[in-house]
Amino acid sequence: MVLGPWHILVELWQLLTPLTLVYVTASTFIGIVIGMLPGLTATMGVALLTGLTFGFPPKDAILILICVYVGAIYGGSRSAILLNIPGTPANAATCLDGFPMARRGEAGPAIGLATTSSFLGTVFGLFCLAFFTPLLGKIALQFQSWEFFWLAIFGIIVCGNLTAPTDPLKGWIAGFVGLLVSQVGQEGIAAYPRFSFGFDQMRGGFALIPVLVGVYGIAEVLGVMRETVVPRVTTQIQKVLPRWRDLWLYRRTILRSGIIGVIIGAIPGVGEDVAAWVSYDFAKRGSKKPEEFGKGSREGLIAAETGNNACIGGAVIPVLSLAVPGSAPAAVLLGAMWLHGVRPGPLLMIEFPNYIWEVTAMFILASLAMLVLGLSLVRVLVKVLMVPRPILMPIVFVLCVIGSFAISVRVFDIWVMLAFGFLGYPMRKYNYPAAPMVLGVILGDMADVNFRRALIRTAGDPTPFFTRPISLVLVAVTLLVILSRSAWFRRILAAGSARAKAALARG
Amino acid sequence: MPRDLQGWPPYASPGVVTGLLGLGLFGMGLALTLRSVRRAGAALRLTDADIRAYLTDVGTRRLGLMLALSVLYCLLLGRGFPYWLTTGGYLLAVMLVFRAGPWWQILLISAGSAAAVAYVFNRIFAIPLP
Repeated sequence: MVLGPWHILVELWQLLTPLTLVYVTASTFIGIVIGMLPGLTATMGVALLTGLTFGFPPKDAILILICVYVGAIYGGSRSAILLNIPGTPANAATCLDGFPMARRGEAGPAIGLATTSSFLGTVFGLFCLAFFTPLLGKIALQFQSWEFFWLAIFGIIVCGNLTAPTDPLKGWIAGFVGLLVSQVGQEGIAAYPRFSFGFDQMRGGFALIPVLVGVYGIAEVLGVMRETVVPRVTTQIQKVLPRWRDLWLYRRTILRSGIIGVIIGAIPGVGEDVAAWVSYDFAKRGSKKPEEFGKGSREGLIAAETGNNACIGGAVIPVLSLAVPGSAPAAVLLGAMWLHGVRPGPLLMIEFPNYIWEVTAMFILASLAMLVLGLSLVRVLVKVLMVPRPILMPIVFVLCVIGSFAISVRVFDIWVMLAFGFLGYPMRKYNYPAAPMVLGVILGDMADVNFRRALIRTAGDPTPFFTRPISLVLVAVTLLVILSRSAWFRRILAAGSARAKAALARG
Repeated sequence: MPRDLQGWPPYASPGVVTGLLGLGLFGMGLALTLRSVRRAGAALRLTDADIRAYLTDVGTRRLGLMLALSVLYCLLLGRGFPYWLTTGGYLLAVMLVFRAGPWWQILLISAGSAAAVAYVFNRIFAIPLP
């Protein structure tokens, strides 16, 4: 732990080869382009590149995916500022102050502030990643089947709750559908085929990448192609470099948003969009000028962009320590790590002791590339926003197809991708969030195997599910999350707090 | 119980978690249905005019076209047609149907993209094409 910074420097030094730098620059640029194009999200970008980089050496492939992830979360701020359309859901809060700034002729400073605060957020997140992953990893070593089962359920419930804030029931349904999807194919204890209906292709289950590409990629392609109006950039961009005074002035906001981003990132499946909104909300509440929020506040813009990028580091903490993704793009990253032979989880520090430092070094390179490209390629990137969607989207579709096919060289995977695209489109239209479903697909096997293994160990006695300390905490938090969304529970809480206040007033 | 799992305790059988998930989904579906009924949202109240308006909507037609072309493309993959031809044809068709630009530009972009994808995957990554 004490030697952490030294290990990171060593890994960074090993990564600094000309070829690696080409990969970093190219993939961060691709990530920014994917992020800034409305309709293409970070999750889709990482999923697509997972298929495309399947033949690469594992280290290079993961580096490319991390660069795409960081670039895409940042890139979405560009269209949020210039078009008032968030490039990815993570940048929705950026629109509130970024676009008003652009309208009053401050597009350049807005882009500069978004870039530097994204950079600071990512750097804060990666330091938390380097510091907290080994700690969480040590705690995770105490997890056994009972805890892993509850961790999967906890992840689905919390993710469903936060990604569908108006109707958590839809989020939970999406999560359970994801869990059910993961049950297709040979199960993890006796390799008995489930729901294969006699088809050999189904015995292996649905591969993760085609499912993710379908839910995020195909659903997005269909959604974008349905739209008839494509907005155009009309804003002139002058000076991009931010005023350092602004960054110093809002240092508390940056720190607070960074902390919020990391904490939200570490919660399974929640992700960057929630981090940005919560950071924005806290910044507004703590601001000396809350009335400026929504009208081009620099503080609001900084809060949103720091929060969403800090979330990246936070989201990778549970990926590495528990093999539970903190966000949807992190879920794809986890899948990519599995594909390339790395097994994240409690044993990571034992099996791959330097992997955390390696990932941290990759994040450092990605954030530096994001800063340099973001501040230097302003006009080139604006031109990308001008590419007509009917040209871009069919090419994206072709890449989705070949990316899904390339993993196992099976046409069946193309159909899986298409089927999940057809499922993802109406899900989005009727407000069923995709993130819990994706999390369910990833955690399904963990829930299934650990539930049954736990029962086998106790000869069918379910008591330890509720009596082991960590299990008990997970059950309590899961129940609290469910109950907190029911009206009667909130009424009971309100009545209880009113009674307590009255009792206090009586002395 | 399947023959190869005979002797397994019922609580460890492969259907336990799927069964529980099914129960959970049934419960949540029931809650959703009851809530809809209570909010008077159970009746669809769709008229012929609504359906006609939806079907003649430009967005719906665009979606239908994109879906049809994409499914056709996937159907043709892996059936012996050269990949570059299928992919180039798909790109050309979508861009023409959605009027992405002048025909020569569309032709150049589709041919270039199909060739680039085929070259990168087949030659550089050594992945067989569908």
